Amino acid sequence: MEHFIETIGRNMFAIFGVMALGGAAVVVASRSAVHSVLAFLFAMLCIAGCFLSLEAEFLGMAQILVYAGGIVVLFLFVVMLVEVTKAKEKEVFQLQSRYAIGAVLLGVAAFSAVFRKVIFGAASPQALVLRPDLAQGLKVAEQNAQAVSRGLFADYLLPFEILSVVLLVALVGAVVLAKTERV
Amino acid sequence: MVNLNAVLLISFALFSIGIVGVLIRRNALVILMCVELMLNAANLNFIAFARHSGSVSGQAFALLVMGFAAAEVSVGLALVVALYRKRDTVQVDDINLLKG
Repeated sequence: MEHFIETIGRNMFAIFGVMALGGAAVVVASRSAVHSVLAFLFAMLCIAGCFLSLEAEFLGMAQILVYAGGIVVLFLFVVMLVEVTKAKEKEVFQLQSRYAIGAVLLGVAAFSAVFRKVIFGAASPQALVLRPDLAQGLKVAEQNAQAVSRGLFADYLLPFEILSVVLLVALVGAVVLAKTERV
Repeated sequence: MVNLNAVLLISFALFSIGIVGVLIRRNALVILMCVELMLNAANLNFIAFARHSGSVSGQAFALLVMGFAAAEVSVGLALVVALYRKRDTVQVDDINLLKG
């Protein structure tokens, strides 16, 4: 039993990753938009788990807050507004789906052929662990958030500020786009 | 204990699923969700390479990508709502005004 738990703990990333892939597949395949949104929520939570197992704790939590807390709710509201639907029962998939899937598979094959040494080749000797000198002198709970904030506010302050302007523009734009015309 | 290769494979597969979704679905909402999936695959790569190179810049940029994704999805959903008001549909096949 302990051995089993240990194995799970070591393969946390793979488990969350495969579950995220399953969720993503359901997003694409499901007929009902609400089911798609719920599968999307599941996939986002699994990706947050992936982030956590990559020791990006701050980003994992931000992922849960932003996606599960914000974006999925937004999607659900729009599904509710839009999908009430007099829409006649239509085909879910495009007519040219077969060719599209074929093209993507071709792209996947080409990419795998070019990068097979990187992706499928021998694993890099050292696993992904935190750089020791980065971890030194920081408490465990603080190190990730502190490191990210140092990167964000010291090295990349300009993109961060630009992002705030973009968010403001998106906010105003969304209000303008979605408001009714007769006000 | 995670290998870089495993992360790359997972994010590669996630991105491919996102592309397939964008290409084959008709519902504009599902297409937006698939775009989000692709952005998340990119984020996964950012974080893996940040870990791989031992610097934290990748994580900072992943956070920025998350913000841009939120902006993108809010504008996209506003467009979908406006489209539904005007044309009564969210099926992208029905929106063919520009078709020659």
